[in-house]
Amino acid sequence: MDSLVVANVKQRPTRTAVSIIGVALGVVLVMMFAGLVNGMQNDRKTRESSVGADLMFYRDFSLTTTSLTLPTQYVPKLQEVPGVGLVSPVGQYLKETKTGIGFEILEGIDFPTYSQMSGIHIQQGQPLTEDLDVIVDEVYARQKKVTVGSTVDIFSRKFRIAGIFSPPSGSRIKIKLSSLQQILSSPDRCTMIYLKCAKGESTATVAARINQALPDNKLMPLEDLKQLYEKGIPAFNTFLKVVIGLAVIVSLLVILLAMYTTIMERTREIGILKSMGASKGFIVRVIEQEALLICISGVLLGYAAAFMLKIGIMRFTSLQVELEPRWMLYAALIGIGSGLLGALYPAVRAANQDAVKALSYE
Amino acid sequence: MKTIVQALNVAMTYRVGKIDVPALRGVNLEIQEGEFVSIMGQSGSGKSTLLHILGGLLKPTSGNVVIDGEDLASVTDAQRTDIRRRKIGIVFQRFNLFPTLTAEGNIKLAEYIRHSGSVRDHAEEEKRRRHILKLLKLEDRLHHKPIELSGGEQQRVALARAIINHPAILLADEPTGNLDSENSQIVLDMLTRLNTELGQTVIMITHNAEAAEVGQRLIRMKDGKVLDSRVLRHNFETTEEIVSARK
Ligand SMILES: Nc1ncnc2c1ncn2[C@@H]1O[C@H](COP(=O)(O)OP(=O)(O)OP(=O)(O)O)[C@@H](O)[C@H]1O
Ligand SMILES: [Mg+2]
Repeated sequence: MDSLVVANVKQRPTRTAVSIIGVALGVVLVMMFAGLVNGMQNDRKTRESSVGADLMFYRDFSLTTTSLTLPTQYVPKLQEVPGVGLVSPVGQYLKETKTGIGFEILEGIDFPTYSQMSGIHIQQGQPLTEDLDVIVDEVYARQKKVTVGSTVDIFSRKFRIAGIFSPPSGSRIKIKLSSLQQILSSPDRCTMIYLKCAKGESTATVAARINQALPDNKLMPLEDLKQLYEKGIPAFNTFLKVVIGLAVIVSLLVILLAMYTTIMERTREIGILKSMGASKGFIVRVIEQEALLICISGVLLGYAAAFMLKIGIMRFTSLQVELEPRWMLYAALIGIGSGLLGALYPAVRAANQDAVKALSYE
Repeated sequence: MKTIVQALNVAMTYRVGKIDVPALRGVNLEIQEGEFVSIMGQSGSGKSTLLHILGGLLKPTSGNVVIDGEDLASVTDAQRTDIRRRKIGIVFQRFNLFPTLTAEGNIKLAEYIRHSGSVRDHAEEEKRRRHILKLLKLEDRLHHKPIELSGGEQQRVALARAIINHPAILLADEPTGNLDSENSQIVLDMLTRLNTELGQTVIMITHNAEAAEVGQRLIRMKDGKVLDSRVLRHNFETTEEIVSARK
C-alpha cells in the first residue's frame, strides 16, 4: 500500500508540488507571524526590564502607541516622596524604519540619571551632549553598520552618532529628551518616569506612597510590565487567530481540491481496488495517506522557508523573529490536521463509489 | 465433490431513471470446486451482471448466492466486500492493472489487501507467489510497469494478481476480449494450467466459441436466464492432454 501511495503522489508531480507549496504557505504564515510577534515582544521585554527601574510612573501608555503625555514637573514631586531613590524621565516615540517594514522605538532620555539607573555605559565615543546627538546600542550599530560619527536620519534631521552604549537597555536608539520634546513640540513632557526605590524600601510601600501623593496617574511595577509582555498584545493575538484561520483554510482547500481531482481521475483504479476486496476504510486510508505525505512535505518545506525568511528579515530589517518550538508544532498540526480534514470528503466519496460503475469509468 | 457456487433464482433489475431494466430473470446455477465453466450468450443476456453478482460487486434484486458456504445476498455491503476479499479473484477484459505500479507491485497490493488486518506469513506468500509467477511465466516481467508489457503479459499479471491469495473462485469476464489470437491462446493455456495444476475453480465469460472449449462445462445464457448447461469433457488428467486435444 505504501508503494501505491507513493506512486500516486509521484504520478502528478506538478499537482503534488502545488499542493505541497499550498500547505507550506500556511505553515510559513503561522510561523512567521507568531515568530515576529514573539520576537518583538521578547525583545522589548528583555530591554524594558534592563532599564533597571522598579516602578514606572505614567499617564497614558500602551505597548503599541507612545507619545509625550506626562508633564516632567512630576520628576521633582516624585523625588520628594519618601523612599524614592533615582528618578529618570523618558520620552518614547514609535518611528517607522527606513525600509518601511516594522518600526523602532526612539527614546529621549536624560543621560545622567538614565545611565545611573540602567547601568549602561558608553563603549565608544561620548554620551549625549549636543541636541543632534544620538547614541545607539551595539546591536543597532552592527545591524545598521554604523559607527561613531555616522549620521542617522530622524524626523528628516541629520543626527550624529555620538556614542555606542552597552548593554542594550530600553530602545536601541536614544536622543536627548529635550531634543525629542522640541521635535514633537511638547516641551516639558515625557512618556513615563522610571523610578528606583531607595535601598531597603519595598516597591509596594513606595508605590502606595506615590499613589497617595500623586493620584490620577498610573504606576506599574516593572515586574508587572514583564508579565504584560508575556501575555501578549491583545490586537496581535486576535490577528494571530485570523492568520491561523487563513492557514487552515488554505491547507484544507488545497488538499481538498488536489485529492478531489485525484479521485476523479482515478475512479477506475478505485473500482479495481474494490474488485480486489478493498474495504471502504482501506480506500479512505489510501487517500488520507496520500494527503498525509503531501502535508508532511508541505510542513517541512514550510519550516525551511520560515528559517530562511527569518535569516533574511533579521539581516535586512530591525525586526526580531523568534521561531519557537511551540509554534513550529502548532504550524505542523495546522498543516497536517487541516490537510487530512480536506482529504476526508474526497476519500469518503471515493470509498462510497459503486464498484461496477467505477470499473466501467473511462 | 464440494459445491462452491450456488445461485438460486437470482434476479437483477437495473433501474435507469424511472425505467426498470431486467438483466437477470431467475438464474439457477451450481458449480463444483475445481470446475472450469465457460459462459456464453448474446450481448445483453446478463453474463456480466451474473459475474458481478457472483463476485459480490452487485447485490441481486432477489434470490440467493452462496459462495463457498457464504451467502452473498443476505449480508451487508461491508460483509460482501470482506467475502470478496477472502474468496474471490476477478479478471476483466480490460486488464485493470494499476498503471503506476510494476507487475510485482500489483501482485503485492493484492496480497496486502487480502491480509489487511490479519497476520501474514511472508515466507508462505513468497513461495506461492514464486510458484504462480513461474506457472504464468512472469518471472522476468516483475519489474515492468503495465505500459511496458504486451496485452497478453498484462492479462497474465492480472491473472496472477487475481489468484495470488488462493480465492475460492476465479471470475473472468471476457479475459481474451482485448487480445490477438496468439495472446488469447497463451492466456487460455494459463487459465487451464491454473485450473488443472492448482485446482482453481474458474468461471469465464467469452464470446469466442473456441475459447469456451477450454472449459469443462459450457453454460449458455439468454435473456437473463440460463439456457442450458453442457459438459464438454470429463476425464482429462493433465494440461498437456487438454491443450493437445484442443489442437
Ligand atoms: N449499470 C447498468 N444500468 C442499467 N442497465 C444495465 C447496467 N448494466 C447492464 N445493464 C443492462 O442489463 C442487461 C445485461 O447486461 P450485461 O452487461 O450483464 O450483459 P452481457 O451479457 O454481459 O453483455 P455483453 O456480452 O455485451 O457484455 C443489458 O440489457 C444491459 O443494457
Ligand atoms: Mg458483459
